[in-house]
Amino acid sequence: MSANQRARLTAASRFSISLKTREILAAYTFLAPFMVFFLIFVVRAVVEAVRMSFYDWHILRPSRPYIGIENYIELINDNVWWIALQNTIVFTALTVVGTTIVALAAAVAVTRPIRGQNFFRVLLYTPSLLSVGAVGLIWVWLLNTQFGIVNYGLSFVGARPVNWLGDPGLVIPSLSLTSIWWGFGFPMLIFIAGLQGIPEQLYEAARIDGGSSADLFWHITLPLLRPTILFVTVTGVISHFQVYGQPFIMTNGGPGRSSYSLIFYLYQIAWTAFRMGYGAAVAVCIAVIMAALTSVQFLVLSRRIEY
Amino acid sequence: MVKRLSLMFTLALFVAMMLVMSIPTSIVAQEAEAEPTPIVGEFGGGETKISYWNGLTGSDGVTMNEMLAQFAMENPEFEVTSEIIPWNTLYAKLQAAFVANQPPDLVLMHASEVPQFASFGVVMDLGPWYTSGGGWFDETDISEITYSGMQYQGVTYGLPLDNHGRGLWINTDMFDAAGIDTDPSTAPDNYEDWVSLLQALTLDVNGNNAADPDFDSENVAQWGYVVGEWPRVNFLSALAQHGGEMVSADEQITVNSDAGIAALQQAVDLVYEYNVSPPPAGFDTWQGFASGSVAVIPTGTWFRNFAVDQTDINGMAWPQVQFGEQPGTWFGIHTFLLPASSTPEKAAAVETLLKWISANQVTWAGSGQVPALLSAQAALDPVNYPSNILLGQTFSDYGVLDYQSTAVQEMYAALDPELDAALNNLKSVEDALNDAAERMQQVLDRAM
Repeated sequence: MSANQRARLTAASRFSISLKTREILAAYTFLAPFMVFFLIFVVRAVVEAVRMSFYDWHILRPSRPYIGIENYIELINDNVWWIALQNTIVFTALTVVGTTIVALAAAVAVTRPIRGQNFFRVLLYTPSLLSVGAVGLIWVWLLNTQFGIVNYGLSFVGARPVNWLGDPGLVIPSLSLTSIWWGFGFPMLIFIAGLQGIPEQLYEAARIDGGSSADLFWHITLPLLRPTILFVTVTGVISHFQVYGQPFIMTNGGPGRSSYSLIFYLYQIAWTAFRMGYGAAVAVCIAVIMAALTSVQFLVLSRRIEY
Repeated sequence: MVKRLSLMFTLALFVAMMLVMSIPTSIVAQEAEAEPTPIVGEFGGGETKISYWNGLTGSDGVTMNEMLAQFAMENPEFEVTSEIIPWNTLYAKLQAAFVANQPPDLVLMHASEVPQFASFGVVMDLGPWYTSGGGWFDETDISEITYSGMQYQGVTYGLPLDNHGRGLWINTDMFDAAGIDTDPSTAPDNYEDWVSLLQALTLDVNGNNAADPDFDSENVAQWGYVVGEWPRVNFLSALAQHGGEMVSADEQITVNSDAGIAALQQAVDLVYEYNVSPPPAGFDTWQGFASGSVAVIPTGTWFRNFAVDQTDINGMAWPQVQFGEQPGTWFGIHTFLLPASSTPEKAAAVETLLKWISANQVTWAGSGQVPALLSAQAALDPVNYPSNILLGQTFSDYGVLDYQSTAVQEMYAALDPELDAALNNLKSVEDALNDAAERMQQVLDRAM
């Protein structure tokens, strides 16, 4: 190898290292603004919350004694925590399953070439634009035992008035119904995108082989939508596990504690009793449970995913 | 076929959604004449600025804003910014404001909150404003119990605006139809007579009353009473009527005493034994009264303007029910507090405003509440303020204040769901009160 060749190679390798470094630098530069905010407003807050959970921390009280894991021991023995956890799990399961089914059905319906397709897409998305306050008040009226339009409608088929929000067995499904109506719009959009990503040739080939519409749905649409379903269910669990506004506005956690959710209880602890330390312990446990649930979902649903 | 089904499905969703979304429109249309209270009101344009937070979200907020406007007109050097925040949110926001060292110059809160904020050392000692401290506010012109509600550990932190508390509102047409005298002095003074009265006022769809053997409890058209209207203060009133108290002298929770059990059992029996009240859950008590399906609603002084302005019901105030051996009714106090961090100039400005409000407490009676000053109560016109006078007298005679503790709200957070569970027949009275007492005791012990 001549001296010139060696020099060119060295220069090239220098250039190559330099390019790599520049790429890394560029990546970090682009990431930096987000990372700064993430570190300050998320990571620092999380670390602070974990630290706070080891103290008897009242927001205005000057002394904040360190109490070790006492908040966590209290939590384990706190029956309201377990009631709220059970309610939240039931609510999340019902709402995630319901939202996924309704959103998928709506997406399939508005993906078909029907007249006014875009109009219906916009219309079905509309409830998602409402605030939880508006949704809660609307559904409190709809489900009202005395004056509600739902019971009024049921009266035409001879049904007795149903105490939707007052019956401990119905209150969580009623809150779930409200949440499904409110929240299926966004997953519907995700499903529409997923449906549009399925190659049309697969359907054509199946039709040539004599596949019915149901066959097409079960054997082509659904398997190829698995990544979308995973996304919708994972984000749904994360979102609905943190339900607060619906029980706060519609039932105030009642009857009794039948519709206490974890965040509702967390709010009571932190902002009614002002026990920030115990509230932080509750928040940490909620985060751990959500992380565990999400991991399980990934394990179960991602096994047969085809991207 | 599939295409048609899809279209039908979509259209069905569309129709359902339109129906749902039409509801609030119709509600808004019905209430189009109601004037919304500004959440943030600015009164005057002077250089001396006062920020003022309160939780007067009802018609009392309208009266307060009218008073502030009048104050600003008479005192052009002031500008008052009033922010109306729902009470629970106000207390939460106030904590954050104190931490950030940006509290309002003046805050209106309930006397039950005084111990908590006073214990944190964030509110000002207003003792020098009282005549006993050389000031202008005459403590002999308020009831002793009101004065005690302003204090925490011997220091006076609050300046009272009003007494507001429990009483009844009755539908006089229903009383007339049942042949019951509407004169408040004829109100029963024991549980059995109250049950008889309420049974006479409870009618099924066939017009049978609740004492009638043919009464159809599954199809009630008119309820005599509603136990679900703020059960806690009903319970605290009844507890006092039975000679009980929430916390004993040796600081033990006693809601599950014999008196407590008797008080709550009587309320439960009104629902499930005597059929004169619906279960609380799912029943809108105010709308029930407004729509003419409730004869007697246990409510309070704050109900006055709602009853007059937002219903077509011919109604009037009655004293609180008496189910125990002695009368007793819960009441609270709206009280002004200043942050301890106020500068002397700011405190002086706020003092001017509070002097004006105190001198105009008769105007405040227009909110339905009872002025805290006895002289203002005595000056009320019986024709225009019958409910203020009637209920105000009961507060002075046998009113029961909230237990004074730094953790009273947390104790209530433990008590409320248990009362709700018992009244909705989800738990026995004993179980509910035992569970409440256990949890409340933990809270109280922690607060000691």
